[in-house]
Amino acid sequence: MRASSADRIFDTVVYSIVILVTVVTLYPFLNVLALSLNDSTDSVRGGISIFPRQLTWQNYEIIFSYPSLLTGFKISVLRTLVGTLLGLASASMLAYTLSRPDFQGRRFVSIFLAMTMYVSGGMVPIYILIRDLGMMNSFAVYVLPGLVSAFNVFVIRSFIDGLPYALQESAKLDGANDFTIFWQVILPLSKPALATIALFLAVGQWNSWFDTYLYNGSNETLTTLQFELMKVLQSTDSGNGDYRSTNMTQVSPESVKMAITIVVTVPILVVYPFLQRYFVKGMTLGAVKT
Amino acid sequence: MPKMRKWTAIVLAATLVGALLAGCAQKEQKEQQQEKAASNAPIVMTFYSEDPSPNWAGMEDEVGRVITEKTGIKLKAEFAVGDAQQKSALIASSGTFPDLISAKGSINKMVDAGGMRDLTDLIEEHGPNIKKLFGKEMKRLRYSLDDPSIYVIPTYSAVDNVPFKAEGGFELQHRVVKELGYPTIRTVKDFENAIKAYLEKHPTDENGNPNIGLSLIADDWRMYISVTNPAFYTTGGPDDGETNIDIDTQKVTYHYRRPAEKEYFRWLNHMNAEGLLDKESFVQKSDQYKAKIASGRVLGLIDQQWGYDDGEKAIKKEGKFEHGYGHYPVTLTEETKDTSYWPTGFMAGYGVGISVDNPDPVAAIKFLDFLCSEEGQVLVNWGVEGKHYVVEDGKRIIPEDVINRKVNDAAKFQQESGIGTYINMGGRYGHGVKDSTGNYYTTEFPEQIIAEYNEVEKETLAAYGVSTWIELFPKPEEFPVRPWGAAWNIPVPSDSEVSILQEKLKNITWKRIPQIILAAPSEFDKLWDEYMAELEKAGVERMEQGFEKFVKDRVKLWND
Amino acid sequence: MNAVTAKQRNNLKQGRSSQFWRGVMRNKYLYLMSLPFVIWTFVFHYLPLWGWTMAFQRYRPNRPFWEQEWVGLDHFMTLFSDDMFYLVLRNTLAMSFMGLIAGFTIPILFAIMVNEIRGMVFKRFAQTVSYLPHFVSWVVVAGIISKMLSTDNGAVNELLMWLGIIKEPVQFMAKGEWFWGIVTAADVWKETGWNAIIYLAAISGIGPELYEAAKVDGASRLRQIWHITLPGIRTTIIILLIMSIGHLISIGFEKQFLLGNNLVSDYSQVLDLYALNYGISMGRFSFGTAINMFNSIVSLFLLFTANGIFKRLTKESIM
Repeated sequence: MRASSADRIFDTVVYSIVILVTVVTLYPFLNVLALSLNDSTDSVRGGISIFPRQLTWQNYEIIFSYPSLLTGFKISVLRTLVGTLLGLASASMLAYTLSRPDFQGRRFVSIFLAMTMYVSGGMVPIYILIRDLGMMNSFAVYVLPGLVSAFNVFVIRSFIDGLPYALQESAKLDGANDFTIFWQVILPLSKPALATIALFLAVGQWNSWFDTYLYNGSNETLTTLQFELMKVLQSTDSGNGDYRSTNMTQVSPESVKMAITIVVTVPILVVYPFLQRYFVKGMTLGAVKT
Repeated sequence: MPKMRKWTAIVLAATLVGALLAGCAQKEQKEQQQEKAASNAPIVMTFYSEDPSPNWAGMEDEVGRVITEKTGIKLKAEFAVGDAQQKSALIASSGTFPDLISAKGSINKMVDAGGMRDLTDLIEEHGPNIKKLFGKEMKRLRYSLDDPSIYVIPTYSAVDNVPFKAEGGFELQHRVVKELGYPTIRTVKDFENAIKAYLEKHPTDENGNPNIGLSLIADDWRMYISVTNPAFYTTGGPDDGETNIDIDTQKVTYHYRRPAEKEYFRWLNHMNAEGLLDKESFVQKSDQYKAKIASGRVLGLIDQQWGYDDGEKAIKKEGKFEHGYGHYPVTLTEETKDTSYWPTGFMAGYGVGISVDNPDPVAAIKFLDFLCSEEGQVLVNWGVEGKHYVVEDGKRIIPEDVINRKVNDAAKFQQESGIGTYINMGGRYGHGVKDSTGNYYTTEFPEQIIAEYNEVEKETLAAYGVSTWIELFPKPEEFPVRPWGAAWNIPVPSDSEVSILQEKLKNITWKRIPQIILAAPSEFDKLWDEYMAELEKAGVERMEQGFEKFVKDRVKLWND
Repeated sequence: MNAVTAKQRNNLKQGRSSQFWRGVMRNKYLYLMSLPFVIWTFVFHYLPLWGWTMAFQRYRPNRPFWEQEWVGLDHFMTLFSDDMFYLVLRNTLAMSFMGLIAGFTIPILFAIMVNEIRGMVFKRFAQTVSYLPHFVSWVVVAGIISKMLSTDNGAVNELLMWLGIIKEPVQFMAKGEWFWGIVTAADVWKETGWNAIIYLAAISGIGPELYEAAKVDGASRLRQIWHITLPGIRTTIIILLIMSIGHLISIGFEKQFLLGNNLVSDYSQVLDLYALNYGISMGRFSFGTAINMFNSIVSLFLLFTANGIFKRLTKESIM
């Protein structure tokens, strides 16, 4: 293999840019980490970049002193698992049916789904619907209403479209029905797409708190991690200027807010490598197909 | 292939088990509730509030337990996270209401949706402490002229409140006034001269970074506090939101249209032209502002204590007490008085109400009544006797170790004790009111405040001949009573033209005022006239007339 | 593949109703796999659309549906006669357009570049780090940018002065004309890594044998990218592009709100903020719903247009 000079220049440029991007995107996170480990009064002075000036664990201690955090963590993990699995199942099945050119409902369902991405009845009708379906104060409200996501369907479908149709045909000749083809042929070959959508679903579930607030607000057994942390994050920054009737001295310190970001992100970082290997591959890995 | 099957099976199984567990937990919870209802356990009522309360401990804290013991009610509470207005709107439109509701500004949504009970009779029969607390102010609890029901027990405004702590005015660093020999700081000119003189002698700090004369903060609604409200505080106008109302005729003026306020903004423009105003004032965010204050370089501020407190605490922690700030009652000219403490009288409006879905309104009103009683007030403010305070020679004292915990371990202390958590759940007496034992109801009173001052503050205060900052300010008694209370508290129906106009005018003002302040002085008059013309074109007079009607209605409601 | 589908399409075209039902039975699994979800979508996404009627009423929460007051197109008239509406619309479209261009080209380029990195450890590390800003909230990112661009020891000004490009610090955050650029750049910083993930996944689906063959033919890396990588992810790019065009008008308001201030408000206020301020925050459900409807209709228009154009030009489409 001759490495031509064009290739060497190419490599240099690519590596330098990627290194630059890495440094530039690492900075905000390190900054947040440093602030979270810094004494909160000292943080106000500013000027902290990637190293804490007055190291302290106090911010984390404050966060972990809230007992409902553990319940929140358990429920968050549960909803992430359940929500991701259900979401993957629904998106992949729909994506497969829509990828089949001989499926009569293809055009209709595609349009039907696509429109849902841009159209919404608003919060009031949805709230009333959830209540009427008896999903207030329930775990189901975390995973059922959002079960079908048009975006996920279309992304997976674009991957399936890239697979040679011959594979499906030969499976059919072997006597497989559509579901078997889906399960045994399509799914294993769609790992990168599934991993990506799994990531999006998982992060979405992990980070949600607004649904907890709206539907399970006073239910201590169904609280989620993000919601518990948002409660701690009581910030007068997001107020609507109602400063005359609010106790303005009760703002949580900057550093605690930073610690919250870290607490929420670390689990994602821990789980991420397991998904990453499906779509960040070396150039010399064996063939994906057949 | 088999590997994938195995993993799939495991994950699916785990999920199923998890889902089952979640379902079981719920069932268990329901069974527990039913058990509780059967026995003589306290009644559980749901409580919804538009305020956050992160240290809520399920009413298991020390104060909470005593309240449950005395009233037989345990609250299952839900507090605001982020913007509560959306959730309140949803609750109103859904038609299912929590048992007790503390919906500050959204009360009209709840009333419109028919969710609130009229409390008049309940108070009459079961609320002796409520009647005693609100006494002469009962008229103000009525909702409107068309609907004189009482829907809320006011819990935000305190009865007979005497302000002891100065939070506003103009602020100057102690070292500035000290070096200049503690000159009188009475007018904006005094303020300006002090800053100018000090800057000439000390243009930079010890690190070579430039000192800043005056820094303002205009980040979103802080614009009101630091930039626009001072315009009326310094020119003899009380805080009536964005309007100024004539005390005799109730004629409403959008306050920026007062000629005196034009001169106030002219002064700010002049400060900018002289290089005394921080150029970043209209661009900086809150944390940059506080960082500047924490660096000790900002000589003067126009803000409320809670707006810069974090910054001041940081610099005090370094021991640089002379970089802390004093509060001064600055006005435009000697003829006017600083109106920070122009009283509003008792402000009803925001508070706790009982919803139509409440299973036991009598128990609920008794609960609220207990919180208004003397015993309840002391409990909620001071805590449990023996644990959070002691009584020595008839005087209530908070022991050192408790104070220590309050300051240094605030979150945990509040979770355990519950002090401060229940204050906005019932009506309350204000600062300065004494109970039957001769002690104050609240824990904020002059002796306590003075005890918290540091040496430099005490030195400055002594030089000005007072012992607390608020003594420098004109007292509430010096001002006539406003029959409408305060304009910012008068509810305006959501689809009324007045609200829409107010929002439009705000947009114009927030764009124009910074522009005007930063312009060259020669341009000031021209730009100001353009601003006034733009307001007129947008319909400011219609807003003024429309709002006047609401003011007059309020005067009738509260005084007849 | 084309030949096969053409044959199947021919079969369908000769369909009569019996053909239709036979087709359904043949595809019964497909229907089983999709029908439940279609019903689901109907319940949770289409049923709530009754709320759109609020836009034509003077909605009062306490009264049931048939007691509401109908005002026809009044709210829309109010909306379209407000000067502010056109201002925020302009700002919204400008920023989304810039965001669309930047948000497409840059993540794709980045994904390709990461893919070209040979060392696995660095590759995975760089990719992981690149999406970290996605998890840092806009409040924090806006604070960092505000500090960097400030005239009070801000990093950007210090650098530019050191390089001699400017003599005095420039107050970037106060210049309205720069605002759109600042917002776009901030978004690129924050979201590129995350947005690149889909493209990386798409790239990993390209068969390595294509690259082997190209290398044997002596193609340089650049040529390989142009002829293999890009065409390989073409479908994904187009699908995402169509979907993003639909979202052009509803880009939220958080980052514009946090990065903006009163000096640049003419450039920073967007439609969703206008909807919040004049709609929900004021309790004006109907007006808010009217804006929501407007957004949806424009989005659908953009969607169908984009889909149609791409279908014609590239044979790829969503619908």
